[in-house]
Amino acid sequence: MKVTVERAHLLKALNHVHRIVERRNTIPILSNVLLRAEGDDLRLKATDLDIDVAERVPAVISEPGATTVPAHMLYDIVRKLPDGSQVELATRPDGATIDLRSGRSKFSLQMLPESDFPDITAGVFTHKFDILASDLKRLVDRTQFAISTEETRYYLNGIYFHTVEVGGDLRFRAVATDGHRLAQAEFIAPHGAEGMPGVIVPRKTVGEIQKLVEDPEAQVTVELSDSKIRLSFGEVVLTSKLIDGTFPDYGRVIPQGNDKDLIVDRSEFAAAVDRVSTISSERGRAVKLTVGDGRLTLSVTNPDSGSATEELGVEYESEPLDIGFNSRYLLEIAGQLETDTAIFRLADPGSPTLIQDRGRDNALYVLMPMRV
Amino acid sequence: MQNHPSNLTHVRQLSDDMINRIAAGEVIERPASVVKELVENAIDAGATRIDVTTAGGGTTLIRVVDDGFGMTRPDLALAIERHCTSKLTDEALLAIETLGFRGEALPSIGSVARLSIATRHASEPHGWELSVEGGIKSAPRPAALTLGTRIEVRDLFFATPARLKFLRGERAETTAIADVIKRLAMARPDIRFQISGSDRGTTTYTSIAGPDAHLVRIAQILGEDFAENAVPLDFERDGIRLTGFAGLPTFHRAAATHQFFSVNGRPVRDKLLLGALRGAYMDVMASDRHSVVVIDIALPPEEVDVNVHPTKADVRFREPQTVRGLIVSGIRAALSATGHRASTTGGRATLAALRPGWQPAPAYPAPAQASLPRVHSGQTMGIGGSRAPEIPRPASWDWQAMGPAAPAANGFAEGETGQDSPVHHANEPPSAPTLDASFLSHPLGTARAQLHENYIVSQTEDGMILVDAHAAHERLTYERLKRQRAETGVARQMLLIPEIVELTADEAGALLAAADDLASAGLVIESFGGQAIAVREVPVLLGKFDIARLVRDIADDLTDQGISNRVETRINRVLSTVACHGSVRTGRRLTLPEMDALLREMEVTPNSGQCNHGRPTWVELKLADIERLFGRS
Ligand SMILES: Nc1ncnc2c1ncn2[C@@H]1O[C@H](COP(=O)(O)OP(=O)(O)OP(=O)(O)O)[C@@H](O)[C@H]1O
Ligand SMILES: [Mg+2]
Repeated sequence: MKVTVERAHLLKALNHVHRIVERRNTIPILSNVLLRAEGDDLRLKATDLDIDVAERVPAVISEPGATTVPAHMLYDIVRKLPDGSQVELATRPDGATIDLRSGRSKFSLQMLPESDFPDITAGVFTHKFDILASDLKRLVDRTQFAISTEETRYYLNGIYFHTVEVGGDLRFRAVATDGHRLAQAEFIAPHGAEGMPGVIVPRKTVGEIQKLVEDPEAQVTVELSDSKIRLSFGEVVLTSKLIDGTFPDYGRVIPQGNDKDLIVDRSEFAAAVDRVSTISSERGRAVKLTVGDGRLTLSVTNPDSGSATEELGVEYESEPLDIGFNSRYLLEIAGQLETDTAIFRLADPGSPTLIQDRGRDNALYVLMPMRV
Repeated sequence: MQNHPSNLTHVRQLSDDMINRIAAGEVIERPASVVKELVENAIDAGATRIDVTTAGGGTTLIRVVDDGFGMTRPDLALAIERHCTSKLTDEALLAIETLGFRGEALPSIGSVARLSIATRHASEPHGWELSVEGGIKSAPRPAALTLGTRIEVRDLFFATPARLKFLRGERAETTAIADVIKRLAMARPDIRFQISGSDRGTTTYTSIAGPDAHLVRIAQILGEDFAENAVPLDFERDGIRLTGFAGLPTFHRAAATHQFFSVNGRPVRDKLLLGALRGAYMDVMASDRHSVVVIDIALPPEEVDVNVHPTKADVRFREPQTVRGLIVSGIRAALSATGHRASTTGGRATLAALRPGWQPAPAYPAPAQASLPRVHSGQTMGIGGSRAPEIPRPASWDWQAMGPAAPAANGFAEGETGQDSPVHHANEPPSAPTLDASFLSHPLGTARAQLHENYIVSQTEDGMILVDAHAAHERLTYERLKRQRAETGVARQMLLIPEIVELTADEAGALLAAADDLASAGLVIESFGGQAIAVREVPVLLGKFDIARLVRDIADDLTDQGISNRVETRINRVLSTVACHGSVRTGRRLTLPEMDALLREMEVTPNSGQCNHGRPTWVELKLADIERLFGRS
């Protein structure tokens, strides 16, 4: 194999693919990136056996072929080469070494045969549709914080993407929960998503998706099977295994009958929660919300250091109520809301609370209170 | 084979010998069981001295001689018949006050060994003797004997060779026999016990009378170390009385063999009691270490069923929760009352290490002459329950407020607590004239210096103390966090999606029965069909964790020990970590006022004598010991 590429192109592609390569591997080939020179492209590909990221870059190919080289090493080398330089990659006839030349720099790297490189991308994808990159990113951004990290309930370790009918519209919906809170975001389902299976996309994949969305106006092609998802962001293609499990029937934990509406200024509320929780020391110290008569009092007591209260003017017309929440959870949810005004739909101190942007129903959050 | 199918069609009455052998299988597991049964019989017979002789780990010979009231000729003949007992009348099964009550031991032994009994009752002109070999009984014949009974068991299990194969070897059996005697002797200091034989040395526990008898007997059995490192227990609740001694948390062992429980004087090894003991020491001792205790539980006989296990090791309480609660809270209260006290063995061992030519003491001291255990001066070891005087906490001393930035309002001559130079005082020579002698009389003395940026050296009236400042401060922080938690209760996060845990019906039942306790620890559960439970709320402090696993572990604890402290243990572990991060690190120099403040705080904080892992936070060297080191005594 002998090929010449622009450093900028190579760097951009390596930047995308090298991230999923684990720093420590027991299987040596998994530390490598696959390079394949074919036609007018150099294709790069890396995998951790759960996710596969592939990208092609334009190149001048004098001798087609393929090999694998250490991904992080190659990335670090290319990163340090001067801007605007050309990179030449040429394998030696011994089949064990590849030479990299750029300007006056020359590196020789050990290779491993391309035939050993695992491929997890095979399979038949039954559904295919396009969505706007910004829509996808919004779904992921709004729900990602609620993904569970607790490994025994592995089916909660990802975002559940599926379609539902809401008032005659088919919606493409993302849901994540860790058993303490739940986040849900959706938009009108794109053409082609009808009948798609509900899929749980693992946390690491979700993180990659967030990073791969570079142009919000671009279209992302989504392909699905029962066990895999493939997302094509232009020249970058991510294929990932799905979590093999059943997502719980989350609809049952979204409260329907909460009738006490508390309307707050989102940023004022978040800042106040943040301020009063300065007092708490142990993790997850509760903040108590006392509402009644157009006023909300936030209070935190820490027997170790003291107490804090702050009062906010709010809209609230139901009977007075005291309810405790984990302050960190409140802050995280407040950080997800998109408009200036948030609405808390409360029932009682022992039941889930629904939180939304006022006047929007394309995202909702459910939070379970704390008992103190 | 005998059991040809046609034989099986007949239901037959088993022969007596067969019944006895089956019973023997349960009652007589090993030589130590024989010793236990025979010594119990001697105790029941009102003996004041009991001599046990063994050979071959008890398989060759076990002889028990007592000076009890003996048996008449007709009683002797009856004693070896099954279910013949002089101890139990028909109504009395609910209120057993003797160790024996089934009339099963002698016939069982007679069916698996060569048994001979010689006995003399006061009403008989002379003694009588008879023998049983493999179930065949001889008629009583006259024997020369003073008052009492001598029972010999030879060739144990000769009639059931299969059982012989399961024995653990002579040494193990010899030790097991010694252990049985220790357990029985522990409860009866008034009786003299002696054990000897070709397979062991002679051990004698002399008989002791008087108010301190129990403590002296304990010292005979466990060594004087224990007496110096234990606190007395005496608690009563709802007609149940707990007495005995609990070892300090710093005085621990690798095995649970030094835990002596008795119920109304009957030695038992009951899971509930052992579980409660673990609970009591849970947060002052590492989980792989074992406390040393001697505890008797006295309660009306009808409140406890001793007839639940063939070897009577298990008992069943009518109010198990009360008993468990009494043990846990009684021991905890006694231990926290000792405050800063740590074990004296630390200082002793140090001393021993310094002393040339020192030899370790024999592990099993057998003092020929009983002596009162030495009362460690200045400590709370109270034979008569005496307590060190309450030390009031000086109002101006607040260790927590003593950071480098604290105002120097402590009334110290050199005032500045060292905004910039906290190092100065620690480096002053120990003879610095500014030292305040007023703390000398306090148990932990007055701080003189800090060594290796951790260890505080302090002087007391009659010795010196070394304090591991990091460990001590960690413990103080931990105790404070725990106190706060107890005051404010455990904050619980309710679960949006309850965790359903599948279990067996028994486990689910055990968990639900403990639901109230679990809820106060922060875990709220409810029934979810017969085999499963739903977890609704969890302690916030634990963050996100494997709920199902915790619940299963709790269920295991409950089914095997009747108690589980897992939730508290985990919460406390989190607190310990917090405590560790919030504590003075090794490497931080303390000023003398800071050191003194730490010592004072230790004196008034329960459980500050050991760190969170049961290691001592301080050790003491007595002046006398130091002088001895230099050959001055
Ligand atoms: N050392 C002894 N001195 C006087 N009497 C004895 C002695 N050993 C046994 N006996 C008599 O023999 C009887 C039978 O003893 P055995 O140990 O078989 O039964 P037990 O003690 O009544 O009940 P258990 O089976 O629960 O021990 C006793 O009830 C007692 O009357
Ligand atoms: Mg008996």
